[in-house]
Amino acid sequence: MMSNVRRMVSLFKGVCRTRTCPVHTWTSGAGLVLQSRSTDVFQNLALEDWIEANVDLRQRGVLLLWRNRPAVVIGRHQNPWTECDLQAATKAGIHVARRRSGGGTVFHDLGNLNLTFFTSKKNYDRRRNLKMITDALRRVRPELDVQATDRLDIVLNGHLKISGTASRLRRDSSYHHCTLLHSADRSALSAVLRPSTSGIHSNATPSVPSPVANLVDHAPTLQWEELLEALVDQYNEEFGCTSALTSIDPSDEASFPGIGLFVSELSSWEWTFGKTPKFSVRTVLDLSEHRSAQLHLEVKNGLVASCQVLVPPDWIPQSLADQLSQVLVGERFCRHGAAAAAVSTLLRLDGTGGRLEELSKAVLRAMG
Amino acid sequence: MLSHSRCLTRNFGRSLSAIRQGNNVLARRATAAVSASHAIIFNKNVKSDPRASVFQIQYFRTSVAYRDEVVTVKTPAFAESVTEGDVRWEKAVGDTVSEDEVVCEIETDKTSVQVPSPAAGVIEELLVPDGGKVEGGTPLFKLRKGAGAPKAAEAPKAEAPAAAAPPPPSAAPSPPPPPASDVGPIPTTMPPVPPVPAHAMESKPVSAIKPTPAPAAPVTPAEGVAKGARTESRVKMNRMRLRIAQRLKEAQNTCAMLTTFNEVDMSNITEMRKTYKDAFLKKHNIKLGFMSAFVKAAAYALADQPAVNAVIDDTTKEIVYRDYVDISVAVATPKGLVVPVIRNVEGMNFAGIEKAINLLGEKARKNELAVEDMDGGTFTISNGGVFGSMFGTPIINPPQSAILGMHGIFDRPVAVGGKVEIRPMMYVALTYDHRLIDGREAVTFLRKIKAVVEDPRVLLLDM
Repeated sequence: MMSNVRRMVSLFKGVCRTRTCPVHTWTSGAGLVLQSRSTDVFQNLALEDWIEANVDLRQRGVLLLWRNRPAVVIGRHQNPWTECDLQAATKAGIHVARRRSGGGTVFHDLGNLNLTFFTSKKNYDRRRNLKMITDALRRVRPELDVQATDRLDIVLNGHLKISGTASRLRRDSSYHHCTLLHSADRSALSAVLRPSTSGIHSNATPSVPSPVANLVDHAPTLQWEELLEALVDQYNEEFGCTSALTSIDPSDEASFPGIGLFVSELSSWEWTFGKTPKFSVRTVLDLSEHRSAQLHLEVKNGLVASCQVLVPPDWIPQSLADQLSQVLVGERFCRHGAAAAAVSTLLRLDGTGGRLEELSKAVLRAMG
Repeated sequence: MLSHSRCLTRNFGRSLSAIRQGNNVLARRATAAVSASHAIIFNKNVKSDPRASVFQIQYFRTSVAYRDEVVTVKTPAFAESVTEGDVRWEKAVGDTVSEDEVVCEIETDKTSVQVPSPAAGVIEELLVPDGGKVEGGTPLFKLRKGAGAPKAAEAPKAEAPAAAAPPPPSAAPSPPPPPASDVGPIPTTMPPVPPVPAHAMESKPVSAIKPTPAPAAPVTPAEGVAKGARTESRVKMNRMRLRIAQRLKEAQNTCAMLTTFNEVDMSNITEMRKTYKDAFLKKHNIKLGFMSAFVKAAAYALADQPAVNAVIDDTTKEIVYRDYVDISVAVATPKGLVVPVIRNVEGMNFAGIEKAINLLGEKARKNELAVEDMDGGTFTISNGGVFGSMFGTPIINPPQSAILGMHGIFDRPVAVGGKVEIRPMMYVALTYDHRLIDGREAVTFLRKIKAVVEDPRVLLLDM
């Protein structure tokens, strides 16, 4: 462990802005290439935050290579309920995370390589980064027709997307990260990347779906390690450095002091769901005997800000439906947990079995 | 304009000395900056001669004006020839921000750009709606500079315990109670209610729908009293609490509620637990607690006395007998009572029951309890023991007919075989609806539970 710490300190010597690391001349050229040993999406996102906060990017850039166990990663200003079927994701053990950069939703798995280019704001150049990737690909497999588009995607054969991009600009630092589909499981993708519930109206950033492809579909002999090596070599060539691929473990709090805080913030409900821009849900609930009710919910910060359930007058009294609405206000927009508890208390008080129960369950099903 | 304001204090010092040295250029520049920024304030004071006006402006008066200044912050220029983006607000009108704190983020073409506040102050106005489009240079928001004046004003306002700074909401200091929200004062101020842990069922308190959150209200005035202040605070009862209160009273009025007591010698079950807990943990991966014994005992006794498992349907005047046993276990959470149900207990053994309790506890902890997990229930068990309760009368959880209350286990001297011995004893209470269950049935029921817990072999022998 101590040797790890010493290694970390020496790696970041000259790079850390904290008072504990002395500033020396950086030895390995103008760049540093790191590979994360973790496959936990929250740890890797936290690692990005840590590097951005603690590494001085004015002298050199950092390239971080990482991949995650199956996870859905939504953009900073997106709505997780429209982007992902949360029930299906939980059932399949797929985490849902919100990253700090903008853009659309991506599905991560072990066949999907992520690259993050950390630079100072001055050196922020996404096209150059993408050019580095396409050059690397052409080098290992010259027969592959890969191009970077205007929208900063990388496409194969002109129309199949193999990479998407997102980035984040702060006062004096920036990062640009992108995916690279090597061998992702596309069937798992489609099962999860669809709305949790219907009727959501929101001005959150939408995702633009496009046909995707894996590199192995078109270059079956391309190994993962071969791809990584090609990328590292091309990075060194493009940015004029001589860095070897250094493996790091983001769960090591000693080497990355403070990373635990980033992890807990990124995995909190308040960040993943609470940061959703305001949206409304308007839908029709199907009830028995061919009856239906109208549901209108406003959700702010992931919590139900207002709720209205309109029922046919001869089915149950509107006052009962209003009680149900009141019970939901202030609770998380989620069919489990506090909302479910509040509803079941209401049902215990006002009669189980029967129409109120049916209505309550229909309303809860419409909630995420 | 921004850079002018930032440099103001620095330049002002410089310009004052420059003036003294008679450097006209600097003086005029300073004057220009000052008059541009403080046009409104200084109209009365500024004389026509600009140089003379600089002498008129005393440093401290300018500083006061500087603090009240409202600046308009514009959208920063976008990188890489991007033309427009969407604004996402992080702060709202009235929020106090410090210098460099992020006020909003602008999303342009897959990039999220942070817009920090140029100085400390209060957000006065947002000039673009959330999600609205902006271009480089579009005015974004107005900031009233100042060291967070509103915060300073709030501090003296509090009769609320300064010690209670971190904890929540209580309406004590701020006049209007949370409007229209059903949340009310969050009872986290109530001392004994712990958050729901993994083994919630084993050691969780609560008697049915006793208004457990109620004590939170008296607590805050009490703290005020401790400081010598004689104020009171009024908090509106939320609808849910009102409804629960109403329903409880209705239940009390319709049921003929009565409680019978007994005591249980916990030595055997404690010993069984001690002997098997490691092996149990190894095989089933969960801890062996006391709850499973009581739940199984209750299911056994309910099968034996079906009236206790039944309920009167007041509308049709029928008694509804059920041949399945669903046991509701009352759990207190900071947000109120939660009653998950263990279904078909009559067919389970201790291990099965512990697994079910564990699963429900996990779900409760992770906020994943679905409404189907909390539906129905034919009988409730509540455990007041975790609070240290020795003895008490639980209240029936409508629409059921009875409830078993478990209390704390305390060592007591008891008579065993003619001698006095110290045994770990627990008082148990059964509150029942006398319209349906008569005294003999209630007592027999409770004695059966006692028999099973004191000697689980009774189950095997079907005694």
